[in-house]
Amino acid sequence: MGATRLILPIISILISIFYLISAINLPKAKLGDPNGPLYFPMMVGIFLFIVSVIYLIKELKNHYPKNDEIKLLFKGRVPFLIISTLVLSLIYTLIFERVGFLISTILFMAAVLFIVNGKEKWKVNISVAVLFSLGSWYAFSQLLDVSLP
Amino acid sequence: MDIQGILEGFATVLRPENILFVVFGGFLGTIVGMLPGLGPATAIAVLIPVTFGMDPTSALILMATIYYGAMYGGSLSSILINTPGDGSAVAATFDGYQMAKAGRAGPAIAITAIGSLIGGFVAVIGFMFLAKPLSNFALQFGPAEYFLLMLFTLSAVVSLSIGNMTKGFISMGIGLVLATVGIDLQTGVHRFTFGNVHLSDGINFLVIIIGIYAVGEILYNYLTIDRPVGKKNKLGRVWITKDDWKRSKWPMFRSSPLGFIVGILPGAGGAIASLMAYSTEKQLSKRPEEFGKGAIEGLAAPETANNSAAVGAFVPLLTMGIPGSGTTAVMLGALVMLGVKPGPLLFESDPNMVWSLIDSLFLGNIFLFLINVLMVGIFVKILDVPAKVLYPIILVLAFIGAYTMNYTILDFYILIIFGVIGLFLKLYDFPIAPMILALIVGTDMEQNFRKSIVAGHGNLDIFVSSPISITLLILTLLSLTYPIFMNRRRKKKTDLNENTSL
Repeated sequence: MGATRLILPIISILISIFYLISAINLPKAKLGDPNGPLYFPMMVGIFLFIVSVIYLIKELKNHYPKNDEIKLLFKGRVPFLIISTLVLSLIYTLIFERVGFLISTILFMAAVLFIVNGKEKWKVNISVAVLFSLGSWYAFSQLLDVSLP
Repeated sequence: MDIQGILEGFATVLRPENILFVVFGGFLGTIVGMLPGLGPATAIAVLIPVTFGMDPTSALILMATIYYGAMYGGSLSSILINTPGDGSAVAATFDGYQMAKAGRAGPAIAITAIGSLIGGFVAVIGFMFLAKPLSNFALQFGPAEYFLLMLFTLSAVVSLSIGNMTKGFISMGIGLVLATVGIDLQTGVHRFTFGNVHLSDGINFLVIIIGIYAVGEILYNYLTIDRPVGKKNKLGRVWITKDDWKRSKWPMFRSSPLGFIVGILPGAGGAIASLMAYSTEKQLSKRPEEFGKGAIEGLAAPETANNSAAVGAFVPLLTMGIPGSGTTAVMLGALVMLGVKPGPLLFESDPNMVWSLIDSLFLGNIFLFLINVLMVGIFVKILDVPAKVLYPIILVLAFIGAYTMNYTILDFYILIIFGVIGLFLKLYDFPIAPMILALIVGTDMEQNFRKSIVAGHGNLDIFVSSPISITLLILTLLSLTYPIFMNRRRKKKTDLNENTSL
């Protein structure tokens, strides 16, 4: 571990600095106080910067107990599950409006089910994916009048 | 007490379609709440789209019963498989699971239902008495008082993330940062939109909430997805004996007001209410040694308290527009989306909505009691459906939910990003409630801050100009310093113990 535990506090400090710089560069308001839009973000940015620095100091002093849960992230098929779910979600995002709700959802759901639930249970996976997608399509677009692509 | 309002509320709730929503919401909420790791906040977040196109009162009734149902569902999985859905169901595992292991799952579920019914009833009555005076009191609040009240709520939520205040503040800071994205309401200046048109209305907070509470939770639950599920215990007859009643009746009646009061306080909520009720009863009990080994009163007390806390949390939410916990913040988000603005004026402008909501909790309680006692077998069957099938379903619901907010694919990206952020927040023990709360009250907080500055002619004195402001400031300072003080004392004590043991 060692240096890796400093990553989060440093990210947090960088976010606050980036936010503060963007806040300072905000355009001036043409109505009322020209700096009106600026005050609150500045306060928030400075506040976030201070607590992030405190967080960094605490990590440097080993204030927090060792976090063993992180190790689970790299154990067994967990990394594969997380990454493939995210990749499938991105693909779903890209095809959602192009192929339409029904087909893209059936494909996405079946794919996630195959990965999470396993190939052996293909009958369950396919029937859940088809039935749930059809059911939710019917419920949202027909009953609730939500327009789906 | 607004008797007429209460009665009119009942007339609304008892309309056939609304009774249907109470039943429907109770069912859906119970099912989502039963899933390991998913609690009421997730249930409300993913089920928000179901309320589209509904009249706001019906939508609110549905949402409230989903909330309530999810709490029942959480208790069921705590008792039967020792996996609480969220913080407020944790205490149910202490004695509930032990009872189930000893073959008394039936009585455990029955006492949970009875306790929740009693807790809910007492709290609803408490609400009826308190709501009007409190909303009248809130009418005296100007922008400075509102700003300070929000500040106090946020600091209370952070200070209750015990031992984790720094991370709580970072979580809160990020929430406030996100709340400032979009067009500034007073001046029309685009802030932090980086030229993206879709961001000019701000990031839809419900998408962030669904991302964190649904996608993030699913990714987090992947960590333990292959772990064998705790053996589900046999149900038996779902009712209690005379002795059970004798042992639990006073704990239930004591825990009801306790939970209600804790629920009203900002930041506390069901988790703390149930733990407090548990430890209080343990201290009062003649047989404290039985607690944790299947004492029925050790289950009755926290289960009563968390339900009355759930109703208590509606008091600040509806009378002042201030949510006191992550779950009520999600509720507030849903309300705002429905075009309802909670606060003292809601009691003037739409009393029927307020009372229908409260009355629906009354009715929802009775209904959930009935299904929990009569139809628990069906719910228990749902626990047999593997999480591996249910998580993908929730995932798709999350996407549908995000899409229906603005009908733009951009929200899918935001959903995925916040899913990942949610995963890491959980992994690194960052409390999530401060961020959600800050995200939702952030815009109002800024508006009130600026209005007070204008009212005070640029002077900060405005924040100490009324007794209410001064009290709120003192409360904020107390909530921030108290945990530090307690930490020091605890440290001193352990140091002392170590020295004496040497």
